[in-house]
Amino acid sequence: METAPQSLAAPLDNQAPDDSPRAVSRTSEKDPARHGEQHEGLHYNIPLQDMRTLFPHSLPPRFSMQVKTFSEACLMVRKPALELLHYLKNTNFAHPAVRYVLYGEKGTGKTLSLCHVIHFCAKQDWLILHVPDAHLWVKSCRSLLPSTYNKQRLDQPAEASIWLKNFKTTNERFLSQIKVQEKYVWNKRESTEKGSPLGEVVEQGIMRVKNATDAVGVVLRELKGQSSLGGFRLLVAVDGVNALWGKTTLKREDKVAPEELALVHNLRKMVKNDWHGGTIVLTLSQTGSLFKPRKAYLPQELLGKVQSLENLVPLRGIDALDPFIPILVSNYSWLQHEKAHTEEGKKELLFLSTQTLDSWSGCAPTF
Amino acid sequence: MRSRMFPFDSSLRTSELTQVRGSRYGPEYKDPQVDKEYYRKPLAELTEEEKYERELRKTQHIKAAPASKTSSVFEDPVISKFTNMIMKGGNKVLARSLMAQTLEAVKRKQFEKYHAASAEERASIERNPYTIFHQALKNCEPVIGLVPILRGGHFYQVPVPLADRRRRFLAMKWMITECREKKHRRVLMPEKLSHELLEAFHNQGPVIKKKHDMHKMAEANRALAHYRWW
Repeated sequence: METAPQSLAAPLDNQAPDDSPRAVSRTSEKDPARHGEQHEGLHYNIPLQDMRTLFPHSLPPRFSMQVKTFSEACLMVRKPALELLHYLKNTNFAHPAVRYVLYGEKGTGKTLSLCHVIHFCAKQDWLILHVPDAHLWVKSCRSLLPSTYNKQRLDQPAEASIWLKNFKTTNERFLSQIKVQEKYVWNKRESTEKGSPLGEVVEQGIMRVKNATDAVGVVLRELKGQSSLGGFRLLVAVDGVNALWGKTTLKREDKVAPEELALVHNLRKMVKNDWHGGTIVLTLSQTGSLFKPRKAYLPQELLGKVQSLENLVPLRGIDALDPFIPILVSNYSWLQHEKAHTEEGKKELLFLSTQTLDSWSGCAPTF
Repeated sequence: MRSRMFPFDSSLRTSELTQVRGSRYGPEYKDPQVDKEYYRKPLAELTEEEKYERELRKTQHIKAAPASKTSSVFEDPVISKFTNMIMKGGNKVLARSLMAQTLEAVKRKQFEKYHAASAEERASIERNPYTIFHQALKNCEPVIGLVPILRGGHFYQVPVPLADRRRRFLAMKWMITECREKKHRRVLMPEKLSHELLEAFHNQGPVIKKKHDMHKMAEANRALAHYRWW
């Protein structure tokens, strides 16, 4: 029930939920902190209440359809996620933030491993800064306004306000605890005083959609500055981070470079490891990426060269992200987990379900 | 069996008829046997007839199996026929994906109903999309049909018993026409089809109504039944 590719033939068995093959692959361990080697390959349940707070709109659409159909969210515990959890448990918060990059072929489970990590951090009471899909910020934007803060940059009010709403749902508790350290003037009538809670900035962004992008920028700057003080631990989770250094399909008389978008600019600063008191977990994704070949999945392929317009020095994403710890997410291997006995139909289903999405083009139809 | 006449000059026109539609195989060609179980039977279990059949197949001409036929366990002739009827302009890929999405939609809807229902109702909710599909089409098949028969210069709609294949065809045709015409522009075909299939499964909905209308018309024209000569 994770992002395994959908098999075209529906299974013919109508087994009751407490039949043995299903019970074997589940675990009742609901706390990700206690997931270890012995839980590898087993599914665990995320309570629906947590789902609504942690992932308001940020799950991949196929997974959220599964959640809706089965009215439960089951994630499989896998090695890359376990590795990441182990690193996170042993992080030294005095050192600068470490960057982990999850990469792998399409459909192997990078996004859901990220969700597993986010659930773990939420249970440990971290502040979560989750960008569900950075590609959404660089394509199909209806409204692009010139930025109020910096004339050369562009605002995206719609995406920024959606993100602020989700941020608010995820981190309700922290919004009143964290205090803003500078005075911010939004326009002639509205301003936020120094020392007021961060919740006010978020409210301002949600209510005044024009200032939403600047509100996002303020939130990111404040969090970066204050996480070093140690009041809370910050997790920056970005899915599809190759969008920040790729091309955009947005046009403002002519092509827009990603640096010109205020959201992208602020997020790039966030992903730099010049702060401490937290971690940065990133995912590469070819699925939503623009102008990248279908088979590309390695970091150097997806984070490649981009000419920056301001200064003609080639700015590669991989240079900006160096140094990082790459974590390969490989395809789910059923051999470890399935039983040895298979009938004819199950054999076919297993064969079909273990192929990744790409290799299906060669298969003959079954009906 | 239609044949195409070449539009040449009458002096040059020989009786050159090429078959455009219909089978090119002669009568001695046998249908291919795709069923794996047929070949897995041990020799001891075969009857005389089956042994003769097997020997015959070794030497006789056999037609080529079409690309759409597989020896998979999941093969269903009804579903294949339905997919072919959905297909437009030879776009089998699209038709197949629509069929798959329809079955998936049916399954998801039933699962949601299952999870929302109480323990007593759960036993009665059918979740297998294939049984739902077959049952729905069976519920839509008319028992009796109308045929236009020419008598005295007028066509009369005469009630007539239908062959099995005609009934299956009518059920599928009504289902597809209903879904194509009576939906909103923005509603996708799998969604509409899954909805109609579920309604037909419960003996409700517009396709069942059409079947009942057909029966009523046949009942109304009962007096004309004598015009049938077969």
